Amino acid sequence: MISKVEERLYQVLYGPHVTEKAVSGNESNTHVFKVATTATKGEIKTAVETLFEVKVADVRSVNVKGKSKNFGKRKGSRKDWKKAYVRLAEGSTLNVEAEG
Amino acid sequence: MQVSVETTGNIERKLSITVPAERVDGEVDKRLKSMRGRVKIDGFRPGKVPMSVVSQQYGDSVYQEVVGEIFQSTFYEAAEQEKLRVAGMPKIDATTLEPGKDLEYTATFDIYPEFEIGDISKMTVTKPVVKLAAADVDEMIETLRKQQQDWKEVKRAAKEGDLLVVDFNGKIDGEEFEGGAAQDFSVELGAGRMLQDFEDALTGMKPGSEKEADVTFPEEYPAENLKGKTAQFTLNVKTVSAPSLPKVDEDFIKKFGVEDGTSKSFKAEIKSNMQREVEQRIKSRIKQSVMEGLHDLHEIDLPTSLVEDEIKQVRSEMEQNSQGADMSSLPDDMFKDQAARRVKLGLIVGEVITKNKLEKDQARVDDMLNSLAASYEDPQALIEYYRSDQQAMQTIEAAVMEEMIVDWVLDKAKVEEETVKFTDLMNAQA
Repeated sequence: MISKVEERLYQVLYGPHVTEKAVSGNESNTHVFKVATTATKGEIKTAVETLFEVKVADVRSVNVKGKSKNFGKRKGSRKDWKKAYVRLAEGSTLNVEAEG
Repeated sequence: MQVSVETTGNIERKLSITVPAERVDGEVDKRLKSMRGRVKIDGFRPGKVPMSVVSQQYGDSVYQEVVGEIFQSTFYEAAEQEKLRVAGMPKIDATTLEPGKDLEYTATFDIYPEFEIGDISKMTVTKPVVKLAAADVDEMIETLRKQQQDWKEVKRAAKEGDLLVVDFNGKIDGEEFEGGAAQDFSVELGAGRMLQDFEDALTGMKPGSEKEADVTFPEEYPAENLKGKTAQFTLNVKTVSAPSLPKVDEDFIKKFGVEDGTSKSFKAEIKSNMQREVEQRIKSRIKQSVMEGLHDLHEIDLPTSLVEDEIKQVRSEMEQNSQGADMSSLPDDMFKDQAARRVKLGLIVGEVITKNKLEKDQARVDDMLNSLAASYEDPQALIEYYRSDQQAMQTIEAAVMEEMIVDWVLDKAKVEEETVKFTDLMNAQA
């Protein structure tokens, strides 16, 4: 049986975040992920380490506010989300786009 | 590129080909690079997508595409290098198919069989010979008269060949049934369009007479409710007409476009028509006989792929001839013999042409065109049409080639003359 902790790991990472800006960090071994808003840096670190079998040096995360949109007269907003910059330890490589 | 040939059958060959990785990957890279400026991926401005992302997204499909093309080009390169004449499409199996590695694959295919043209002089061609006798012409005129046949009302009892106008009313066990009654119905006795019993009952009846008759429907009658039953018909004959053949007089002759209306020129005209018809038939008979002979003279292993293609061809022709009936459910075997025959003849004819350096004779093409055009109202227009249409011209050229091959064979083969009667020639399936 999968323990609660392990189950949580699978719920942390949503997917790779692939944009011009995100890819520009690939050379310094930094990869960008979309993650659950509730995820902590520690959780992200273990999640990436176990799922992709790499060593993570550090994690920086940022909360992104969802854009507010008007739908006619109605106000609405997109969901807030969390972005995580994961720097891998030297010697580890990851092809995020392929695996995410 | 490394190539090795393996002979796996009489005409089956297997090529193992190795294409160096650089050739494949170089091509893939080139394509990806040219794609880079055009692709749109979310999160990137057009043209700013990094190479790594492009190859991530499109690498596989481009690789597939390139490999497909490389199969094509290297296969024919290899076939040429090994001097193999490939028949049909090869069957390609890849052994390694991975980016960054040498591409290895095997291609299995048939080659055109090598064969020698058999000894034509051993071949016998039957050539039908027909003498048009005066009796044949008379018979022809008789047929024409029958086509122009008229009906004349008579007062005598009906006999075979007569046309009757009848009212009838049929009952089975006292009850009327569908299609069992009609008014002013025309029946030609002896034409076999009605039931035998029915016609028998009518024979001998006089106009204006009435009669009751039993008619038994045969077991194989299409209508379910009538099969094998016996019906009582009330027959009422209104008129009886006897056939009357038109006399061969001036009017009759003029109908056939003979201006002066004399029986002499009429006969001459008919005879020349018949003569033309006969010549055509004889020509096609000889051709058939020649082709038959060529076919039987040679024993060739036929490339399966060609035969399969031909089967498709035969099938679609059948479909066209039967007005779009669906033939796709019929098994291939049904068409196989015919297809194999055609392939074989095609190979033989091709070989004869190349071996003997037969070339289409422009003069003969012109002749053929002229004779074809002669039967049209505006011959010049038809000739113009053929000259301007490549495809139409090709059919004529093909026909000329065929004739030349027939001539070539006739030149060498034993020709047996066979006297055939005019009617037999015309009635035989050409």
